[in-house]
Amino acid sequence: MTLGHIPEPVIQLEGVSKRFTPDVLALDDVSLTVRAGESVVLLGLSGSGKSTLLRHLNGLHRPTSGGVRVLGTDVGTAAGAEQRRLRSRIGFVFQQFHLVGSLTVLENVCTGVLGTLRGPRIGLLGYPGKVRRAALEQLDRVGLADQRFQRSDTLSGGQQQRVGVARALMQRPQILLADEPVASLDPESSAQVMALISDISREDQLTVVCSLHQVEVALSWGQRLIGLRSGRVVLDQQVGASDRDDIMSVYSTVGAGSAAALATTG
Amino acid sequence: MAILIPPRPDSAPGPPPRTLARPSPSGLAAALVLLVLLAAAAWSVVELRLNVATLVDSVGNAGDFLSRTVPLDFPPVAEILLLSGQTMAIVVCATLLAVLISVPLAVLAAANTAPSRAARYGSRGLVVVARAVPDVVLAIIFFRIFGLGALTGVLAMGLHSVGMVGKLYADAVEQIDEGPRTAVRATGARRVQELVTGVLPQVLPSFIATALHRFDINLRISVVLGFVGVGGIGFEIASSLRRLDYQRGMALALVVLVLCIVVELISGSVRRALLGDDVEARRGIVGAVRRRSAAVRADVARDPGSPRVSPPWTPTRIRRTFFGALTVLIVAASLYGAEVSPLQLLAGLSAMPDTFALFWPPEAGGILGELLFQLLVTVQIALAATLIGAVLALPIGALAARNVAPTPAVAKAFRITVVTVRGLPELILAIVFVVITGLGPVAGALALSIGAVGLLGKLVADSLEETDTRVQQAVRATGATRAQVFFAATLPQAAPAFVAHVLYQLDVNIRAATLLGIVGAGGIGFYLLNASRVLEFGVVTTITLLVFGTVMAVELLAMWVRRVVA
Repeated sequence: MTLGHIPEPVIQLEGVSKRFTPDVLALDDVSLTVRAGESVVLLGLSGSGKSTLLRHLNGLHRPTSGGVRVLGTDVGTAAGAEQRRLRSRIGFVFQQFHLVGSLTVLENVCTGVLGTLRGPRIGLLGYPGKVRRAALEQLDRVGLADQRFQRSDTLSGGQQQRVGVARALMQRPQILLADEPVASLDPESSAQVMALISDISREDQLTVVCSLHQVEVALSWGQRLIGLRSGRVVLDQQVGASDRDDIMSVYSTVGAGSAAALATTG
Repeated sequence: MAILIPPRPDSAPGPPPRTLARPSPSGLAAALVLLVLLAAAAWSVVELRLNVATLVDSVGNAGDFLSRTVPLDFPPVAEILLLSGQTMAIVVCATLLAVLISVPLAVLAAANTAPSRAARYGSRGLVVVARAVPDVVLAIIFFRIFGLGALTGVLAMGLHSVGMVGKLYADAVEQIDEGPRTAVRATGARRVQELVTGVLPQVLPSFIATALHRFDINLRISVVLGFVGVGGIGFEIASSLRRLDYQRGMALALVVLVLCIVVELISGSVRRALLGDDVEARRGIVGAVRRRSAAVRADVARDPGSPRVSPPWTPTRIRRTFFGALTVLIVAASLYGAEVSPLQLLAGLSAMPDTFALFWPPEAGGILGELLFQLLVTVQIALAATLIGAVLALPIGALAARNVAPTPAVAKAFRITVVTVRGLPELILAIVFVVITGLGPVAGALALSIGAVGLLGKLVADSLEETDTRVQQAVRATGATRAQVFFAATLPQAAPAFVAHVLYQLDVNIRAATLLGIVGAGGIGFYLLNASRVLEFGVVTTITLLVFGTVMAVELLAMWVRRVVA
């Protein structure tokens, strides 16, 4: 990112609303732009719309109204091959890891390239040697090369999430989306996984959008904070410019006092 | 936090507070249905004269039967092997056909993978129809088309099996964890890739277990279908009995028994080898994983230049590959052995419309009253057998459960009893009882009662073992006795499963009672066989519709009761 050059936008949301049932409004008129190379943290209580927003970026959800444009594709209308091509360029890391438990670690990483392969693959040997070697490289980056032939459900939570990251990297993505990647992990594994995502996004020059609910992690990690409350954007600023009280206001449901209490209890 | 406790309301005058929850209308209705079923079952037991006197009367017959049976007259070994081979080939092909149809059908029928509501209800409907049309009827129809030979049996059992296999497969798909599937979809995978990578690994264990279970069932059914012209051992038994050659017939029945046990043992070890993640085996897996990862680490250390990216030959993988290859081999041999010719199949398909015309319209042949009465007898047999089976299976199953039995040895002994009873094909039991108690419903009811102990006993034991032991510990910690723990903690947890299992058994018994009628064990099945013998296919259709309607009614009722008590 050279000075004076403004990177092109890779994610653009305009007036996006999402209604799941007539009375549940998950996203309420959200507009925002993310430029290439940015690291964005989505902050908010559970149920504030963070997951829903992330899932709109790769077409797992479609907006009820408004437009979503990601990497030049209109996500709201993209279907079939166009939708798959977009998804194959976006890595997604899930809170609950979502590995296929009975498959080996290496095979789980290999599934990252399904979007660019033809036909179904059965077993590790269903993937070409080139793919398997590339998967091993990604596993090596997350420090789990030695566990590659283990069933993935025999790994610890932190290890499973690192496999999840390796699977996302296997796609050679331009954008990495992470939905509460450390909410199910202990503090030590959390720190490891966040450091991993941060290092890798710098090395691979990824655009990252990561939802978190721990303020401390968010402050030490992101460049830009976007706060959501009841499906609305209530905060959008650079980390340096953020005032702790502003951030706490994201969490306020009743009053400032309870928000502070929430933040300290985590 | 004392303020959070609401103040105790002053004891106001009036009726004392309820200590029993007000019953819900649907709960009452379900209880009423169960009571009516119980009463009907008790009435059936009385009406069919299933009592000690009948049994005592039969003792003389039993002696007579033995004198006519002994010595058993076994055919030459080569013939036994040939007949067993034929039966096995038909059963393997039929099960394979059922699996091949059920996999796509399950994807269409499961709520989470169905492409549309219409596809979902359509395929669920097909599965229900496949279950409700008795396999004997299918065999009679296909016998008209394909005549003697394997194809009749393969199609009849294969299509009927879809009713169970398809349903269990769809249920398995509905129970998956959606997470991995979403993750695979998020990588840009196609629908087929998503299903193969995100869904299949999750359902594979239950798919394999279901297929093997159905394989065991089909082996038993294939013997019954021998009576309507499906080749193999069953056909030989049927012709022996028709000649009243009990020495040969019972010898062949003994062969079937051995075959059933051998198959049960083989399918058990195949199941363990291919799945290997039941509780006992998990220790083994963790051990294998440890050994495996140690080996891999050594491997990586030895050759850092080109690390291994194909799975290593661990003992687990070797065992799986071996049994996988064995399965493929058996299937290939069966396809070859059953001599299913595509030409014959095509010719048969083109003859299909003419054949169906034979079966339409349904006719009563002037005996509608008699048919309805026989249908009632079939239902009575099923009800009585379910009641007797349940009464026997509840204590036996409870004692077979590890967490209920007083000692592990007792649990083991009762488990073995249940498994042994399960190994006895109901048909063999029915034939024995037909000879001992004479033609009629008593034979059918007794055969099915014993059969019910096998299935119900296992289900009861399993559902007791699946109860939460922490609750039992909590009750035990209050100082309760073993019996109090059983009634306060164990039974309430398993009760909804009991109700479901007993209703399932009733469902199974109605179909089985129809089937066993064919060997003379009473009820409408006998008329089914006769109608097909004298080529009154309209009557076959009428009987089919009657059975179909009854099975559907019972199934809907059971479904509703299960939902209410669950």
